[in-house]
Amino acid sequence: MSGRRLQTGGLVDRTKELRFTFNGKTMTGYAGDTVASALIANGVDIVARSFKYHRPRGFFGAGCEDPSAMLAVRDQYGFDAAIRAAEVYLTEGMDVRTSRGFPSAAFDLGVLIQPFARFIKAGFYYKTFKWPNWRWFEPVIKRTTGFGDIDPTASPRPAERVHARCGVLVIGGGAAGLSAADTLIDAGHDVLIVDEGRSLGGAALWSGQRMDDKDAAAWINARVERISGADNIRVLTDTVVTGAYEGNFFTLLQSISDDGGVRLLRHIKLKAEKVILATGAVERPLVFPGNDLPGVMLASAACRYIGQFGVAPMSCLAVFVNNDAGYRSAIAAHRAGIDVAAVIDVRDTPAQTLLDEMSAIRVPVMTGLEVAAAIGERHVRAVDVRPLAGGRTVRVACDGLAVSGGETPLVHLAAHRGMKPVYDPESASFVPSNLPDGWVGAGAVTGPLKLDEAVRSGDAAARLVVGEEDPTQAKSANPYNIQPHWRATTGDPAKMFVDHQHDVTVADIELAAREGYVSVEHLKRYTTLGMGTDQGRTSNINGLAILAGLTGREIVDVGTTTFRPPYTAVPMAAIAGNRVKTFYRAARYLPAHETHENAGAVFEDVGWMRPDWYRMNGEDREAAVATEMAAVRSAVGLFDGSPLGKIEVAGPDARAFVDRFYVSNIMTLKPGRIRYSVMLHEDGVIFDDGVVTCVDDNLFIVGPSSGNADTVAAWLERWRQTEWPGMRVAVAPVTSNWASIAIAGPKAREVLAALDPDFSISGDVFSHMSYRQGRIAGFDGRVSRVSFTGELQYEVNVPARHGKTLLTRLLNITQPMGGRLVGLEAWLRLRLEKGYLHVGADTNGRTTPLDIGMGGVAAKKPGDFIGKRSLALSYAQSENREQLVGLTVKAGALRVGGRILMDEVATPPCPTAGYVTSACYSPSLGYYVGLALIENGANRMGETIKIFDRGQVLAAEICRPGPFDPDNERLMA
Amino acid sequence: MIVIKCPSCHEDRHEEELEYGGEADVVRPTPPDGASDETWTDYLFMRTNTKGVHYEQWCCRAGCGQWFKVARHTVSHEVAEVIRYEDRFAYQKEGGE
Ligand SMILES: [Zn+2]
Repeated sequence: MSGRRLQTGGLVDRTKELRFTFNGKTMTGYAGDTVASALIANGVDIVARSFKYHRPRGFFGAGCEDPSAMLAVRDQYGFDAAIRAAEVYLTEGMDVRTSRGFPSAAFDLGVLIQPFARFIKAGFYYKTFKWPNWRWFEPVIKRTTGFGDIDPTASPRPAERVHARCGVLVIGGGAAGLSAADTLIDAGHDVLIVDEGRSLGGAALWSGQRMDDKDAAAWINARVERISGADNIRVLTDTVVTGAYEGNFFTLLQSISDDGGVRLLRHIKLKAEKVILATGAVERPLVFPGNDLPGVMLASAACRYIGQFGVAPMSCLAVFVNNDAGYRSAIAAHRAGIDVAAVIDVRDTPAQTLLDEMSAIRVPVMTGLEVAAAIGERHVRAVDVRPLAGGRTVRVACDGLAVSGGETPLVHLAAHRGMKPVYDPESASFVPSNLPDGWVGAGAVTGPLKLDEAVRSGDAAARLVVGEEDPTQAKSANPYNIQPHWRATTGDPAKMFVDHQHDVTVADIELAAREGYVSVEHLKRYTTLGMGTDQGRTSNINGLAILAGLTGREIVDVGTTTFRPPYTAVPMAAIAGNRVKTFYRAARYLPAHETHENAGAVFEDVGWMRPDWYRMNGEDREAAVATEMAAVRSAVGLFDGSPLGKIEVAGPDARAFVDRFYVSNIMTLKPGRIRYSVMLHEDGVIFDDGVVTCVDDNLFIVGPSSGNADTVAAWLERWRQTEWPGMRVAVAPVTSNWASIAIAGPKAREVLAALDPDFSISGDVFSHMSYRQGRIAGFDGRVSRVSFTGELQYEVNVPARHGKTLLTRLLNITQPMGGRLVGLEAWLRLRLEKGYLHVGADTNGRTTPLDIGMGGVAAKKPGDFIGKRSLALSYAQSENREQLVGLTVKAGALRVGGRILMDEVATPPCPTAGYVTSACYSPSLGYYVGLALIENGANRMGETIKIFDRGQVLAAEICRPGPFDPDNERLMA
Repeated sequence: MIVIKCPSCHEDRHEEELEYGGEADVVRPTPPDGASDETWTDYLFMRTNTKGVHYEQWCCRAGCGQWFKVARHTVSHEVAEVIRYEDRFAYQKEGGE
């Protein structure tokens, strides 16, 4: 407990006090606080546990660079199970909890693992849990890993998705970005400036820096004011550019907040003509034993907590640097009234101006030394300091240590486009090499620079990006006089933390190097270095520099790992936006939807809103389905088949064209006749079945299954355009032009007659698999005599707008006959009694026509068709393929998914010979029937087999598909 | 994000509006019955997997529905050329049967 609120200072609104709870305890903060700064103000210093060793973790950074402080946060609008405390703005009533570490981060049972830390080295899991099977260990290990627990009762935060474009995108609203935007708006460009902060300005607002001897914050505020008055610039704050893609497309995540919290997440897809990359840099830590203790933090973070939030993370600060920039934290702390014990500088001779500045505020500077270790158990209480050249160790008491190891430019977005950052030994940083077309870098992303240089570089970038002369300007090569110091010279490498979140230490990197993982990509995967939620912002460069040292290579030769989007974590809910639930896709309604609704339909969304069954007389689903099936078998049933695919193929070559798609011969199909067939992909696998109608020699109607209507239309059109553009044929999907009602049952002809067709419907002229068009029910209609149920069946098609009238009339006709509406479930069971297959259910990604008994049809067809040649390949001809057969079960219940056992004695787990693809109870037959794909099934008719299903074994008999009415007497009636 | 100007409706189409159709100019052996197993399975499965400029088929799915051919660099996604199929087939119509 060493943090506190400073009496004055910071950009928080001290007139607006906010109450929040941390692990149930009420605390207060101010508007403008982040959760991190508010917790520091309340003296909280341990908020998380590290991933592997469960070591205590505090606030190491003050923004997106913070590797450790992930908390569970609930505001008025939503809940995040694990979110970076330094990136969440405090709101009234916020509920903040430690995310992992049970029962609390301050006292963690997992800490018992620590004594075993020596054994959990890099690659530990790979080496230890491989025998006999990783799956045995997985559940136990899973319980000890991960971040946070999802709250299934929390409703997702509202989210939406928008598209946008702009002339010049300025990424980063710090000094460089603002300067660039300023120049661009004067020149009249369409500018969009994006910053992840709540307001523009960046570090200059709180770092206490001066610019050309003036207060930097004043300069920033003047720029922000100018920008807000311009009408050719849009400002997006609280927005992160999360990814950069080819064509200068970007993804952005905007958090829109009010007093209750983040009320909307907006995922933006943006196209920019030109780009100014002004993302700045983050500070790098220094690596020494105990550097992960709470109380150790980046020098820039210390500055920010003091300057932006008016909180003191410590009461006595020591500073450890290898460059000039870190001295700022000593000055900021001194001004805030925090004791500064010492600045420990690895350099022998820092600039005299720095020494004078420190002497003016009476801060001792110890040069040519390094921190040998941070001392403390749960919080730093001193540091041991030792001359770099070796010698006696001195202990310096402090309760806070600010570290500054140089800067890492945030080049991620350029790297998403394939840019490889290059190592600049002068400034000891990875800087962008060739930026993508239309991009110019500005500010610290191009390498460390001073604030006034950043402003000039922003202006120059703006001129360059819009095509003005290259105003090449001199930039100091090493403005902060860095002297690289990648790790402590001696000490226990197992205590030197490189990745604070994943507990990757120098010892792990040494082990990886010893075992030959000398590529950075291998190092990353073997040690998990940089794989935490911070994506290694503070750890990657140190890690690869240490690897370079261990393997005797130059840093430039080691290189960086590949950067991939997203730059920060993006909630899946933000990407989904409002395309969830009813907005997931447009609902499609049947033309007679209301009529079904009034009849008690229980709808199911299967691409269309279709009646699954009809609720009548208080029946439940099973009872209703049985009654519906009985109506079809005994009298008549009405089924709305409007979604059934209807594709008109017209033109002189229509017949030849359709013939190329079907296994059956279409060349011999006479006008007014219909043929059932299946359609294959070129690999010979069935992808649709349906009926083809020959209206006349120039017009065919292809009737794919309902779910495939769009796919088949696109398939025909693709072949027409790309392979056979010379064929004189047009393809028109007309599925939704027609309402289609099927009339099925022994009384179907009687019902059809009542619709007053102007053509003969007598059984001998209008026979099974025939087609007529003419006046029916007072409309110009099309009638097909086909059957899916095994009964006498007609499908009456009228223009969609008359669907309701037709169905109402049919209901009036059929009611006195004992007819009734039939839903999808009864319809599918009727077809199963008959043994008709359902593509996708009774076939899989290997099933060919030879496997469903259509080999003869395929062999008889003289012409070519898509997929034909593949049926002659050896794999299609093999005997042990799964073939579609019927099943009957006289004792017991047959269910979908049961596995067919190889033989009588087989006991699971064991290989199986296939599976049950469809199953239902047949009221007509009085036992269970089904379909199954069984190896060599066609040659096993009459055999009794064993089926293993959810722990039970039952006997079934293999038969030809469709034991109901095997002679088709009802169908042909 | 891949953006292609459709050569038929002349609109910029984003990849979400387009359908990818794989490598272009894969020749279907004719007659298939005359092709050896090897020729046929090469046609089914073997693709050039080019690193560099790749000719491929795209369809203006959410727009005019027309297929066209595109020369795309598989690393940079740069679209160098867009070709209408009807240009390719302009003078070689194959009649019906
Ligand atoms: Zn188009």
